[in-house]
Amino acid sequence: MAANPMHQFNVHKIGPEIKIGGIDLSFTNASLFMLFSAALILIFLLFGTKEKKIVPSKIQLISEMLYNFVAKMISDTAGKKAKPYFSFIFSLFIFILFCNMIGMLPYSFTVTSHIIVTLAFAVFIFVGVTILGFVIHGFKYLKIFVPSGVPAVLLPIIMVIEIISYLSRPISLSVRLFANMMAGHTMLKVFGGFVISLGLVAGWLPLTFSIALTGLEILVAFLQAYVFAILTCIYLNDALNLHH
Amino acid sequence: MNKIVGFLTFLLFAANNLFAAESGMPQLDPTYWASQVFWLAIIFSSIYILIAKIFIPKIKGNIDAREDKIRKDIEEANLLKEEADKKLKEYNVLIEEAKLSAKKILLDSRKKLNEDIQTKKEQVEKEIQKEIKNAEKEIQKLKINSSSKVNLISEEIVSNIIKDIFGEDLNKSSIKATVSEITKGYKN
Repeated sequence: MAANPMHQFNVHKIGPEIKIGGIDLSFTNASLFMLFSAALILIFLLFGTKEKKIVPSKIQLISEMLYNFVAKMISDTAGKKAKPYFSFIFSLFIFILFCNMIGMLPYSFTVTSHIIVTLAFAVFIFVGVTILGFVIHGFKYLKIFVPSGVPAVLLPIIMVIEIISYLSRPISLSVRLFANMMAGHTMLKVFGGFVISLGLVAGWLPLTFSIALTGLEILVAFLQAYVFAILTCIYLNDALNLHH
Repeated sequence: MNKIVGFLTFLLFAANNLFAAESGMPQLDPTYWASQVFWLAIIFSSIYILIAKIFIPKIKGNIDAREDKIRKDIEEANLLKEEADKKLKEYNVLIEEAKLSAKKILLDSRKKLNEDIQTKKEQVEKEIQKEIKNAEKEIQKLKINSSSKVNLISEEIVSNIIKDIFGEDLNKSSIKATVSEITKGYKN
């Protein structure tokens, strides 16, 4: 095992090389863990919806709680108009949550610790929300850069700030998730390395720290999935209900 | 804290050597970027379709069914409660009516009884009065009869005594006069 704490983020291909139009699309360990997450989600939902009981079983209750959790999150932030996007937000939340949680298992790979994955999500959401805004409001959607009740003198500056903040949304959204996951896993690895190098004598201190950090990382894994989903809801809200 | 540390590491590595995976962050090695996005798109869109078409409707249907059941049950319970209240009211009305009619019957029968008693009393009193009057008449008659009889007896006794003493009869009318005179004195 390499001591390099960044080694865990290495991507290597599994199986044959797949090249389409000169682009390498090989199946990698990242793809494998995406598949793991997806499979786990499907198994969970399959068991969660297998029985239709009035008094739910435990797994059914969990799936319904998850549903109600996401439903409440969407209705609180984006209102009733966001109902058609419920499935997307639900899938997004549960996928990121499972990827983060699977990443917490030792020797596993954290899909969301790669900037390209989170960036793909963020850009997709950004482009989708922007198109949605223009489709619903037409050119009035540009009003999102002109907050109401701002003095005319300040308006140009505010507009520039608003445009920058709007355009930086995909970056902040993707870097937040990616950096959190990467930093957490790097720290866990570093402290794990300290336990080995300090040995039986002084290794206990980084070990306790490592245990505490694992708890924190599980919290962060959930929290970042939640934050990602809720920010998506907020962006969606801006596009659906234009009131800035 | 976590976020800041992560971001700083990211910036540091990004500034140092952007595309050197071996010495820095494997995340910035673009070799498998296309592959990652490609597989992410496939996997995420497939679970999105499965969730949107199968699982969300299932969960929603189940939750709705439960809420429906609960609402229906509550409605039914309310209906039953209303019916029970109605029945209770009906019962109370019936009881009230029965009480009233019982009272009425009681009053009526009491009145009738009183009247009966009154008439019977009056009749009896009348009869008693009549009887008393008859009795008085009879007593009067008896009184008169007895006094005349007493007179007769007295007259006979007197005439017998006189006959025994004097050996001869006395004028009967004079004896009668004397006796009636004496009895008059007793009478008053």
